[in-house]
Amino acid sequence: MPKAVEGDYDIEAVRAEWIGKKTPRTSGRYPVEYDPIRRHCHMVEDENPLFLDPEFAKDTVYGGVISPPVLTGYFAGDGAWPPTGGPTQGKRRSGEEIEPPGSIIGDVPTRGERLINMNVAWEYFAPVRIGDQLSSETVLADVFEKSIRLDPKAVWIVTERRIFNQNDELVATNTNTLLTHRRPDVVAAEAEEY
Amino acid sequence: MTTQIAQRTWEDVTDGEELDGFVFELDATKMVEQVSGSQDFYPVHHDTDFAREAGHAEIFYNTGFTQATLSRLLTDWVGTDGWVKKMSFQMRKMNIPNDKIHAKGVVTGKSEGDGGMGEVTLDIWLENDRVGITTPAEATVLLPHRD
Repeated sequence: MPKAVEGDYDIEAVRAEWIGKKTPRTSGRYPVEYDPIRRHCHMVEDENPLFLDPEFAKDTVYGGVISPPVLTGYFAGDGAWPPTGGPTQGKRRSGEEIEPPGSIIGDVPTRGERLINMNVAWEYFAPVRIGDQLSSETVLADVFEKSIRLDPKAVWIVTERRIFNQNDELVATNTNTLLTHRRPDVVAAEAEEY
Repeated sequence: MTTQIAQRTWEDVTDGEELDGFVFELDATKMVEQVSGSQDFYPVHHDTDFAREAGHAEIFYNTGFTQATLSRLLTDWVGTDGWVKKMSFQMRKMNIPNDKIHAKGVVTGKSEGDGGMGEVTLDIWLENDRVGITTPAEATVLLPHRD
């Protein structure tokens, strides 16, 4: 969850400190597995045998089941989102500690603690196969203030994530823009102060 | 029984061609499926009180569901020998419980591409019957050539 700060908030100071910061490269919690793919496909009634049927998939140009494109980010991450401090935490198979919340989004200071995701851009370079062990690193590309209906001082965060397989091959990139905002009661209380 | 997906080739595609698309009713079961399929447990997507406390009229469907729906539109269309190269989208309006959403798309261009496959660009989007287009998107896909 965003790190909402109380009191004075200086967006220029946040920009100066945070733009360009990069996370360490961390491994996905588990290798690419069949069942998250099945759940993902079930969600959107996707019956594509390239994602669901190993017998079919072995005779395709990919030679086996591959991950649906947008599930790549899930397999490069810690699992359920947002991190709760509960069963999603612990150690990865590699022995790395999973540090909650394990992402720039959880660390960059914001005004509000509520999130709305806005824009997403994916580019895919190589298939992600069952058994692949993905890893990723994320850079904070931008952070800025821009008014929305709910909060005249919403803070927007742009991240760029690069996802690799176990052979250090870049398999996908993801650029994500989300905004953080305060609850209406918090915004109203500030307005009353002035 | 394995579902068969017809394999489209680059030569089959015409500029302006519309994708078949599909429709979802966002009922209670679909709401649960979005959480299961995306593993996104942020309460604004399933807890009405939490959503209203944040100033929203209702819970709204999450990014994982949104991108999975757009992605399925593309992967259905490119077939099992095709490849989704790029996809980007903007979540400008919300899809909420009881909306009927439509996944749609149209071909905007094609080129020879490289690596032995042909390239096709598309505009794709989600719309619902309540507010129209909620999620405009663009994509670039690769298709095999006809032998």
